[in-house]
Amino acid sequence: MVKRTNTINKTLSAAQVTGHILVIDNLTKKFGRFTAVDNISLKVQRGEIFGFLGPNGAGKTTTIKMIAGLLKPDNGQIFINDHNLAQEPRQCKQETGYIPDRPYLFEKLTGFEFLQFIASLYDLEPEAFARNTNHYLKLFDLENWQHHLIESYSHGMRQKLIISSIFMLEPPLIVVDEPMVGLDPKSARIVKELFRRHAATGASIFLSTHSLEIAEELCDRIGIILNGGLRVLGNLQDLQREARLEHSDLEEIFLELTGAYELQDVIAALRSE
Amino acid sequence: MKYFSEMMSSKGRTLLQPFLFTTKNRFFPKNKVPFRTLGILVFSLTVCLVLYQIVVKVVTYFHSQNELGIILSLKIFQMAWITMFAMLVFSCMVSAVSTLFLSQDNEIIFAAPVTNSEIFFMRYVTTSIYTSWMMVVFSIPIFAGYGAVFEAGIMYWPLMLLAILTTAAVATTFGMGLTVLLVNLFPAKRTKDIILYLSICFGIFIYIIFRLLRPEDLVNPDKYGHFIDYLSSLATPAAPYIPAAWASNMLSYYLLDREIDFLLAGLLIVTPIALFFLGEWAMESWFLSGVTKSQESFGGYRRFFSRVKYRCSSMQWIFRKEAKLFLRDSAEWSQLFMIAALVVVYLYNFKVLPVDRSMFAEEYVINLISFLNIGLTGFVVASLAARFVYPSIGAEGGSFYIIMSSPLSAGRYILHKYLFYVLPFTALALILLAVSNRLLNIEGPMWWISIVTGLVITWTVLAMALGFGAIYADFKAENRAAALGGMGAILFLFTAIAFEMAIIFLGGSPVYRVMRGWLRNDVMPTNDLLTLVGWALSSIALSLFLALFFVRTGIKKLETSGL
Repeated sequence: MVKRTNTINKTLSAAQVTGHILVIDNLTKKFGRFTAVDNISLKVQRGEIFGFLGPNGAGKTTTIKMIAGLLKPDNGQIFINDHNLAQEPRQCKQETGYIPDRPYLFEKLTGFEFLQFIASLYDLEPEAFARNTNHYLKLFDLENWQHHLIESYSHGMRQKLIISSIFMLEPPLIVVDEPMVGLDPKSARIVKELFRRHAATGASIFLSTHSLEIAEELCDRIGIILNGGLRVLGNLQDLQREARLEHSDLEEIFLELTGAYELQDVIAALRSE
Repeated sequence: MKYFSEMMSSKGRTLLQPFLFTTKNRFFPKNKVPFRTLGILVFSLTVCLVLYQIVVKVVTYFHSQNELGIILSLKIFQMAWITMFAMLVFSCMVSAVSTLFLSQDNEIIFAAPVTNSEIFFMRYVTTSIYTSWMMVVFSIPIFAGYGAVFEAGIMYWPLMLLAILTTAAVATTFGMGLTVLLVNLFPAKRTKDIILYLSICFGIFIYIIFRLLRPEDLVNPDKYGHFIDYLSSLATPAAPYIPAAWASNMLSYYLLDREIDFLLAGLLIVTPIALFFLGEWAMESWFLSGVTKSQESFGGYRRFFSRVKYRCSSMQWIFRKEAKLFLRDSAEWSQLFMIAALVVVYLYNFKVLPVDRSMFAEEYVINLISFLNIGLTGFVVASLAARFVYPSIGAEGGSFYIIMSSPLSAGRYILHKYLFYVLPFTALALILLAVSNRLLNIEGPMWWISIVTGLVITWTVLAMALGFGAIYADFKAENRAAALGGMGAILFLFTAIAFEMAIIFLGGSPVYRVMRGWLRNDVMPTNDLLTLVGWALSSIALSLFLALFFVRTGIKKLETSGL
């Protein structure tokens, strides 16, 4: 009975949801007694690049997996483009592209076949497929490799193939976990430009990263997660105010807000050795 | 001796630690003997005892016939040794390619300051134990059975243990050395494919030859006349250059004359040591170039052109993905040869069935066999479903996130998989049922009962395989075959066989009544027909219930458990 009351209280009205591509409301996920994600709420606007930061084990990937529909939350709700993920998973997934941190792919398919497979899962129109695949394969220097088996691709090539497969779909929301791992500087630059251009068309990026330079360079707003809970949320100025570190860069702010100031002692000890 | 003490020095021991700790944690976690380990032990001992009893009975029967029986039993003894040796060589080679060149811990070990001979020693010990422990354990009761029937002297037992251990050691040292040499000629993945094809061909060859020899005739005294020619060719001594024949000849000689051939015993002891050092020398000479080649991809240099134009149909692409992954993986498609051999031997059994020697009327016997054949076909279907369909969801591995994060629902995904597998399995069941019915000259209602029931069982078993596969999906299993040993696969097999037995058992009486009426008077009484229809409807209801129950449970598991 108590559970039901909670659910009713936590159901958001359409007005609260509209205007945002992603709304996360009181999201909680436990693994046994361990609370990986603890009552997180946040909203991502259309056309926004949202950075999701936190130390290792803070709950970033768990949150991202729940947004991508790979994990079921214990509590709370996720709305994507005004659709409730729990009630309309198909619609939500149709509008979300997920780029994981580890490029697991079907080893015995060729790169081109993989793109065809992804396109068919998302019902991409043949015209859009023909237009976008050529474009992204050329952009990432994968053109000459498209008819080779994925098992012969390097880590970076796999990552580029996954990124191509998601941009090819032109989804209104891209959820991405550590996008730059394994990418060469040229590709990393291209990916950053793609994120910017995608956001400029009104689509949104939910970006989890450990690279504070990338977050500072790309993100309109940043959320920092710590021990499963949302520690702080806002733009760089908001974060500076919260950390009481005016004129500091994101690295200083991050270390301050995530309680890593003891790092100073560790560094001092290392230097004195 | 000094060499081995050097090998067991700190580096050699350190390299063996992961294997030792993994084994200890697997069988004795927290330094206790868990229920699972005890279960494995009891099960293995039971299998050993059963094997021992079977061997004692068969060999005693041969001996009770005449001198021919003794020669024949020793020939089978020799064949068992050679088969065991060949199987060990092949399985050791397949494992050695993986452990030496493709192992996940290779990067850590190769980068560490250890010598090639230390790596060879560690890989030799672990690969030999992995590949030969089962053969060694289960061959002891077989050869002990011979010792018991021949009332061998006290020296037979240490000689037998020496022969088993040294033959296994010869096979594994030979396999390891040959693998190092082969990987120097071909990339590791291709070498693995070549060895796999060879071992499958060898398996099929042994399987078909053994069946075509009709071993059931060996215990039929009427047929002995035909076998004298066969035996005269078999009576020639076994090839003296095969180490397994040394073991077999040494033990046969002792069993018959109670004398030890020290030359053969010496050869058995010296050969594995010599082969080990040869293997180590091969490792020192060619290992690095082999490792370099092993990092080449099998398909890296090849271009595959997708001729089909893109159409947005998820079902079509699930079909194409499944087919491509299957046909491009040699470990998967090469199993088709095994299935073809299975089908040939299965049908051959019906061709040589001695129904004319039965004490009952032939038409009753063939109809009974046809009815029981439904269960047998179901068993074949269940076994193949356990090998191919059950692991197909877990086989998506880390890539399963692609399916789960896409708009394709888990239900539709399983439905597409089901439709992909239903066609080949229906064809297989139809071939097994229709051809065996044809060979038995089955006509009339039994033909239809057999086909329809066989298909209902096949379709239900497939749905159950996918359901269990989803419930127990192991996305970290290295390949499909690895999933076979899991709890889910065993539960699926038990449930599928229990379901098949229930259908056959419940159908026995109604089918018998209908068939009796039809065979006697060419008519089927209405009452009997109604009972048959009742059985058919209840079978379909049970099938639907089980199929839907397991598939739904599987879908729920996929949707809630995450990756």
